Amino acid sequence: MIGEILRITAEHVLIVAIAVGVAVVLGIPLGIYCTRNPRAGRVALRVIDTIQTIPSLALFGFLIPVPFIGGIGMRTAIVALILYSLLPIVRNTFVGIRGVDPVVRDAGVALGLTSRQLLFDVELPLAMPSIVAGIRIATVIGIGVATIAAAVGGGGLGTFIFRGVAMVDTRLILAGALPAAALALIADVVLSVVERRMIKG
Amino acid sequence: MPSSITVREVFNAILQGISLHIDPGEAVAFVGRSGAGKTTTLRLINGLVKPARGEVLIDDVPLARTDLVALRRRTGYIIQGSGLFPHRTVYDNVATVPRLLGWSEDRIRAAASEVMTRIAMPLEKFGARYPRSLSGGEQQRVGIARAIVANPSILLCDEPFGALDPIVRRELQETFRALRSDATIVFVTHDLAEAMRVADRVVLFEDGAIVSDSTSLEFPRLQIPLVQQFVAAASLPA
Amino acid sequence: MKRFNVGFAGALLFLTACSEKAPIVVGSKNFTESVILGEMVAQKLESAGCKVDRRLNMGGTFVCDSAMTSGALDTYVEYSGTALEAILKQPKADVAAAYAKRGLHWGPALGFNNTFAMIVRKADSPGLLNISDLATVADRFRPGFGYEFVERPDGWNGLQHAYNLQFAKPPKTMDLGLTYKALASNEIDLIAGNSTDGLIASLGLIALNDDRHYFPRYDAAVVYRNDIDKKCGGASKALESLRGKLDDAAMRQLNFEVDGKKRDVAAVAHDALGR
Repeated sequence: MIGEILRITAEHVLIVAIAVGVAVVLGIPLGIYCTRNPRAGRVALRVIDTIQTIPSLALFGFLIPVPFIGGIGMRTAIVALILYSLLPIVRNTFVGIRGVDPVVRDAGVALGLTSRQLLFDVELPLAMPSIVAGIRIATVIGIGVATIAAAVGGGGLGTFIFRGVAMVDTRLILAGALPAAALALIADVVLSVVERRMIKG
Repeated sequence: MPSSITVREVFNAILQGISLHIDPGEAVAFVGRSGAGKTTTLRLINGLVKPARGEVLIDDVPLARTDLVALRRRTGYIIQGSGLFPHRTVYDNVATVPRLLGWSEDRIRAAASEVMTRIAMPLEKFGARYPRSLSGGEQQRVGIARAIVANPSILLCDEPFGALDPIVRRELQETFRALRSDATIVFVTHDLAEAMRVADRVVLFEDGAIVSDSTSLEFPRLQIPLVQQFVAAASLPA
Repeated sequence: MKRFNVGFAGALLFLTACSEKAPIVVGSKNFTESVILGEMVAQKLESAGCKVDRRLNMGGTFVCDSAMTSGALDTYVEYSGTALEAILKQPKADVAAAYAKRGLHWGPALGFNNTFAMIVRKADSPGLLNISDLATVADRFRPGFGYEFVERPDGWNGLQHAYNLQFAKPPKTMDLGLTYKALASNEIDLIAGNSTDGLIASLGLIALNDDRHYFPRYDAAVVYRNDIDKKCGGASKALESLRGKLDDAAMRQLNFEVDGKKRDVAAVAHDALGR
């Protein structure tokens, strides 16, 4: 049983890591894009906001018939989780960059930084605490949400929870819920430390 | 080498036909009330603001045909609140432009060390500190050092000492005067005494237009009502 | 949880006792079919001149049953299999007799059997009619079930044993509600649903015939309290007239009217009673 819990916990971590990883790769550039094109950015943020409100089972319902990204299994669960993880990452990237002191940005331009240098040398470093906070939120929420992966046969700790609920077996439910809670706490603590490291100087 | 600055019939949302020529090496103060157009005109010079009509020339070359990034790297810029990068040490802040210009690290260190000595903040003592551990006056000094470290041909100053208390402000004005290199200087301020202390020429702005343009010495004696209002408000010995 | 339900039922009882002329309280569980049947029972009683208080969508089996025994609820529709397995926990008992001992009347059977059903796509399953026919496709069909059906000994494992089936692929376990979508999208080939699910007809699926009678019967019947006629004379007679009113296909159609066509439950129930 312990072995199975460990195996499934590892599976859970894998699902969340892939989903949050992809959400970071997509979300940070999207957040940057939103700061550069405020009108399109507002539309993008609204769309991502709306995705967040779709119940997970309904989202799975949409995704099952979709070729390549849908179907049943871990892939669909990861796609859904990516969609849910985008919001905190995109929004915090957007807010972090928008929150950079305009005087500092002005100074950067006036000193002759190109827009690329301004982004990578000034805006992103200053937005980093906010971005890491977004990643932390996405990860902690993702660890909880990933339990629904079991609803599309995607594995993870939700498997125990779904089985436990179906069988009215509290121990089985706890076998899924406790490791998920522990993972969320660990992720929160670790990423909080990273976040605090970012706020230096 | 200091540059010449020419502003020719510039109009935009704020400016109502500004024309101005500044010779290489001149130190000019822009004065006037808030919203008069002095900061906007200053920002025309390094392309932060674009004219809707008219043109700006640096060394007789229109900005429209100039590489703005290169121009900005040889134009010092000092602003209220310093605009130091909060995530960079004092040394890294001062080294910003030299690095953009591709100087060797040895040359950067030598230049930074020299300029930090001139603002009375030795590099050994302050180089590794972060801006937020400095006082407002110290931050502003570092801002000056960052602006002049690479010997700019133009130095633009936008109310650089506006937020400081009078004593520190006076001190920094002295420092600034002592530093006056061979750059062409444009200094925006609403404080007439400060303008006369740091510049040899005073340009008065009102409602997006130039009201007067004279030497600092002549300025208080100009028989223009707005100038007299300004002088009276500044309570200068006329 | 159960204690809370009893407390909740007690509160309902208290409220009911306070009203001057006590109406008959009709309940239902929280899924479409149960709500339709609750509405039909309510309308039937109303047409017999009884005053009715609807408490539809009440939560699961245990909520309904504890409300019945406490008197907070006067009638609802229950399934024989559920009554034996979940409520009485005596799979072999005689439902009507066991209910009589609890002061409840196991009333008229409505005529359909909402049992488990093994469901396949009609299009790619020519020749599949009975569950025993699955032997011909066991090497290639991908089964997909809800967690309960996979976990319960009387679910998938018991079925394979009873029919001597050996599927090559282990079942995909997933949310029960998504299995239809996955079957319709060709992600899986065999699911376990309920024989009266409205989606069976609308998605072009067929429910295989349980030719070895593996699944217990889940005959729907109206349960009511023995004292129901004290609240309204003729109530039990009205309820008895519902006997045999709906077969599997009819119930499937009613579910589809509500779930598939999004029609109003009251209207669907009204039409069903009019037939």
